[in-house]
Amino acid sequence: MHITLNSSLGLQRSASRIQGLAAAGMALGLWLAGFSLAFAQLPPASTAKKTNATPAATSPLLAATMAHSCAACHGTLGHLSDESFAPLAGMPSEQFVRTMKDFREGRRPATLMGLVAMGFSDTDLKGMGDFFEAQKSLKPTSVKGK
Amino acid sequence: MRIETQGTRRNWLAQQLALATMATLPSMAFAQDKAHVVIIGGGVGGATAAKYLKLFNPQLRVTVIEKNPVYIRPYGSSEVLNQHAKFEDLFVTYDKLKNDHGIEFIFDTVTGMDPKLQQVFTLGKQKIRYDKLIVSPGIQLNYAAYEGYNENIARTSVPSGWIPGDQTVLLAKQLQTMRQGGTFVLAAPPNPYRCPPGPYERAALMTEWFSKHNPTAKVIIVDPKDSFVTDETMMLGWNRLYNFNLPDDYVKKMSAMVEIKQHAKTSMLSWVRGKDGGRTLKIDAKRMRIETEGESIKADVINVIPPMKAGLVASTLGLTDSTGYCPVQRINFASSKVPHTYVIGDASIADAMPKSGFSANTQAKVVARAIVEELAGRTAPEPLWENTCYALAGKDYGLFVADVFKIQADGKIGRINGKSRYLPLDASPVQIKLGARYQQAWLRTFTADCFA
Amino acid sequence: MAFFLQFQFKALAYALLLWLTLSSNASATEIAAAPTKEWTSASLRNALNHLPTGDAKRGQLVHEKMFCSSCHGPIGVAPTQNWPHLAGQKAAYVAKLMLDYQDKRMTSNKGAELMHDIAVMMTPQQISDVAEFYAQQQAALDDGTPRPAADLNVTQLVRKGDPKRLITPCASCHGTRGQGGKLEAPALAGQNPLYFVRSMLDYQNGHRTNDVAKGMRTFAKNLTRSEIEALATYYADLPKKR
Repeated sequence: MHITLNSSLGLQRSASRIQGLAAAGMALGLWLAGFSLAFAQLPPASTAKKTNATPAATSPLLAATMAHSCAACHGTLGHLSDESFAPLAGMPSEQFVRTMKDFREGRRPATLMGLVAMGFSDTDLKGMGDFFEAQKSLKPTSVKGK
Repeated sequence: MRIETQGTRRNWLAQQLALATMATLPSMAFAQDKAHVVIIGGGVGGATAAKYLKLFNPQLRVTVIEKNPVYIRPYGSSEVLNQHAKFEDLFVTYDKLKNDHGIEFIFDTVTGMDPKLQQVFTLGKQKIRYDKLIVSPGIQLNYAAYEGYNENIARTSVPSGWIPGDQTVLLAKQLQTMRQGGTFVLAAPPNPYRCPPGPYERAALMTEWFSKHNPTAKVIIVDPKDSFVTDETMMLGWNRLYNFNLPDDYVKKMSAMVEIKQHAKTSMLSWVRGKDGGRTLKIDAKRMRIETEGESIKADVINVIPPMKAGLVASTLGLTDSTGYCPVQRINFASSKVPHTYVIGDASIADAMPKSGFSANTQAKVVARAIVEELAGRTAPEPLWENTCYALAGKDYGLFVADVFKIQADGKIGRINGKSRYLPLDASPVQIKLGARYQQAWLRTFTADCFA
Repeated sequence: MAFFLQFQFKALAYALLLWLTLSSNASATEIAAAPTKEWTSASLRNALNHLPTGDAKRGQLVHEKMFCSSCHGPIGVAPTQNWPHLAGQKAAYVAKLMLDYQDKRMTSNKGAELMHDIAVMMTPQQISDVAEFYAQQQAALDDGTPRPAADLNVTQLVRKGDPKRLITPCASCHGTRGQGGKLEAPALAGQNPLYFVRSMLDYQNGHRTNDVAKGMRTFAKNLTRSEIEALATYYADLPKKR
């Protein structure tokens, strides 16, 4: 495993066919590594002590506390205009839940969102999703770039 | 990810509430909208608490007492050293908190309090009455822990810069003008300390800078510890970027998951662990020598990150215990020592939560919610905290820690998001570069969440 | 054999073009980066012709390996409000944008800055492949993004434009079904309406300058905010209507 930042310059100069094969091979290897990573991120069966009753919904206050813990990256109340992270305000709840589950179960690649999503149960996610859906999303504006 | 059953949770909750009521004595009935919450400290914890108190109940009167009129952010301050940021970039004003959120500011130093009358006293002879008091004083550096070291020396010749300010400027100048082939020694602190990956990020960024501007320089980290938070991912970055060879025990446990190159050429960067004599004993500022258990090193620039404890005002107000930090009830961070008072941030004893800005930010939100509920005659709800932040091994090399916390069955705060905490060892180049870019974005969004 | 040589020549020619444009950004701290030249029809056609043929299967691997899916969604429908959907987008347009990000021709916001850092890690083959992958995905029927309040009927604007304001019909370049048109005009059907609004504002304010011959900047200039929002909703809902 080696880092090749700015690989575009180096790889261009070699023959296209070898380049294509190397890229495909590296991509395949990393893709497979991604699979094993996804499996590694699945919660081990022993940690959850399951009760027999269906899990109670997460209380709205706790769901709000959970939602507020996202603000340091995703903006206060999920409000974010021009940024590298996704705004959450106004996101449909079902979309939020689905996305977080994709992160939690390793179906979506991420830097740290997979590990964060592991901290929340399905009812937690529903509560957080409802919270964010209820926030008003910001109107788009045009921001001056560099 | 709940691991307790209903029964034990109920017992634990009752116990926590009993303890927590010490801070929430409803001695008299008052209308919530007349309640005054006073916050000592306008750093990450204090600012976030003020903002979120107003968010949860705009009718509350919220006053922040802070000694500095402008905040200088410690997170990301090492980027001034490698010229990736200007010192002025670290400044954060309180304007938005004042103007957009209606928070009052008193720029003064707290000198004492009367817990019975519920008043705090300031250097400027003010008496401020509170219904609830939040103390978020950050840390103070225990310079005297090392023989020959003190605050004056830190200000003039052997800077610390772990609390940013003039020492940051001094250290930046020393490093950027260090003679070719000079030696930079960074003395890392013992646990617990503010920002666990921070000293190693600082050393890494300087190594990266020296590689370009001073290629024969040496960077030596002397450490009382044998390991540190993010050590595996950080040192893997050093291995890839700076020809650093990991210690044998790390190579043994990591090789199965990732290729670790063995470099023939010696790295400019080295890490002297506690077991190899890395613990700092003495600073000789005049002769520019740092003495550790293992050796005496002559250096051109010495950066000491000394042991630390809760900010001075915490002990002034009687909030600390023998550790130098403040014991609190987990459910609402109410002080175990003084009623109607809460302690958050680096100064608090928060079990598994690292001392970080992110921790302070989520603790502030938990306290804000708890106080709003308590003022309304209700009990503090179940809390949740997080510590998810990025660190750099180089400008394009980002790594992270990701923690989600709850109160565990044993009553202490613990992680609930599974075993994995760090950037995976087999992370791809894109993941690593994205991490570095997200770290920069996080500096912006985090500051906005606390101060805007 | 002849095909291979021709391919080699094209690849080398493109390599030269790319090297020339990339080298101006290689060490931004040492030398001031030369301002990237805006596209002309000819220069864009040239650049796109020099890209290798893309393969969607390989493109899916790029989409996962380069973390595109992390922001743009598992099938190219971004579950956020500020980033574009790529599903069903014309391959030529996706490729163009990647070149724009690489060359810093597109610097309109923080997202664009991040895209530059990723784009410079990609080879021309990867760009072609991932573009082909997105072209073969289904455009979002309903992406769940809240629509801006649109009380204007913009069908006239889309089909006939407004000669008084020198605005040509959107459909003439972007297709009668919003499926995209010649060369660089992207598909708009199913696009994230909030991203659409911001992009039009960026053209209007001159923050976005990667359009050929200032075309979009000219058209966007005389549109009102209400019209832009109504167009955003119109296009976002278009796949469902069909």
